[in-house]
Amino acid sequence: MTVSTRAPSRQAWAEAFADASDSDAEIQAHGKYFNCSYLIDATEHTFVVRVESGKVTEVAVDPGPLDVPYQFAIRASAETWREFGKPVPAPMYHGIWAASFQRDMRLEGDLLVLMQNLRCITRQIELLRVIGSPV
Amino acid sequence: MSRISPVTGHYVTLEVDGLEYKVFYLENGTGQPLVCQHTAGCHNHQWRGLLEDEEITSQYRVIAYDLPRHGKSDPPENTEWWKEEYKLTADHYANFIVALCDALELENPLFMGSSFGGTIALQLALRHPDRFAGVLAVEGADYSPGFYLDWWQHPQANAAQVCASGVWDLMAPQSPESDRWKTWFYYSQGSEAFKGDLHFYSVDHDLRGRLGEIDGDRCPVVMLTGEYDYLTTPEDSARTAGQIKNGRFITMPEIGHFPMSENHERFRVHLLEALDILQGAKASSE
Repeated sequence: MTVSTRAPSRQAWAEAFADASDSDAEIQAHGKYFNCSYLIDATEHTFVVRVESGKVTEVAVDPGPLDVPYQFAIRASAETWREFGKPVPAPMYHGIWAASFQRDMRLEGDLLVLMQNLRCITRQIELLRVIGSPV
Repeated sequence: MSRISPVTGHYVTLEVDGLEYKVFYLENGTGQPLVCQHTAGCHNHQWRGLLEDEEITSQYRVIAYDLPRHGKSDPPENTEWWKEEYKLTADHYANFIVALCDALELENPLFMGSSFGGTIALQLALRHPDRFAGVLAVEGADYSPGFYLDWWQHPQANAAQVCASGVWDLMAPQSPESDRWKTWFYYSQGSEAFKGDLHFYSVDHDLRGRLGEIDGDRCPVVMLTGEYDYLTTPEDSARTAGQIKNGRFITMPEIGHFPMSENHERFRVHLLEALDILQGAKASSE
């Protein structure tokens, strides 16, 4: 399910993200213990993704300050996320490690949870190459 | 038609810095030895494409070894290594490679390494310019901080997956998916060595201010770096090569940090150019 507060076009992105993840062969093959909640902060809009046993159970779009808790955050400028959303991203926009080391992406919060789910998170973020940028 | 590969595997026992190692290596080809070092936390299958590349093996004896604690090369035979934390140093690493070349009685070898193999290539050119006919430093730089991380061995995270997916972004999206996944698979096997290797890569290796001491006439240096490498960027390698006497640098488009493993077909074009440069440099200095 998805939760909308505003920005209907972002709602469509959230649904596409959930559908892409839930139908992705790799995530479904390896996501039995994929459990976490994380914030995608794209500056212009924010999203909180919740995953339980490999399925996206919620994508909150532009939640209020205290609406939806999350364990870690992936933050970057809208420009950086737009590069992530290209079918073949330019160098340094091709992953969260690359953009964190060389561009303006920041990984914050409980990074242990990120590391525990790194394989499937990496794949989820790569799905942006197919469904496009969140902003 | 037989499908048996011409690549063969051997073990050689050697001693270095008081440690005895039984070292596994793969080889194929005839000619000048081309000694190949895999990347940190990995093993010699990264060179699988090169080892069966007939154009290169017709001119070079390609030798790809497993550094001790990697692949089929065990930790030291004569110490209780499990009672110490593994932290690779530049001294031991360089001494090991020279000892291996001596044990194999290699004459006039070229050395090629990628990532922490590229940085040790620079160390070898500095320390042993007369032992090597030249070095190819792939994805190397004078200094490469930032990757000596506790996450590689965190007991509450799956170390195999953290190491393998942690280096996933080091590869270019254009590289064949099957080769990227092979590289991922190799990385899922090496987490115990990975962090200790990176002690050399990100902590002990620091040639800032010393590159001018590398004698590029006696031991020519060619550096090659992929544009998708976020750890050692093309700018880092170009800066490094620019401070080495006669140092040359080649940018590799649409390649990341594991060129030989993620996309040998694309890498080999640049490698052939680099080998030509090395041969020309050596000929002109003789």
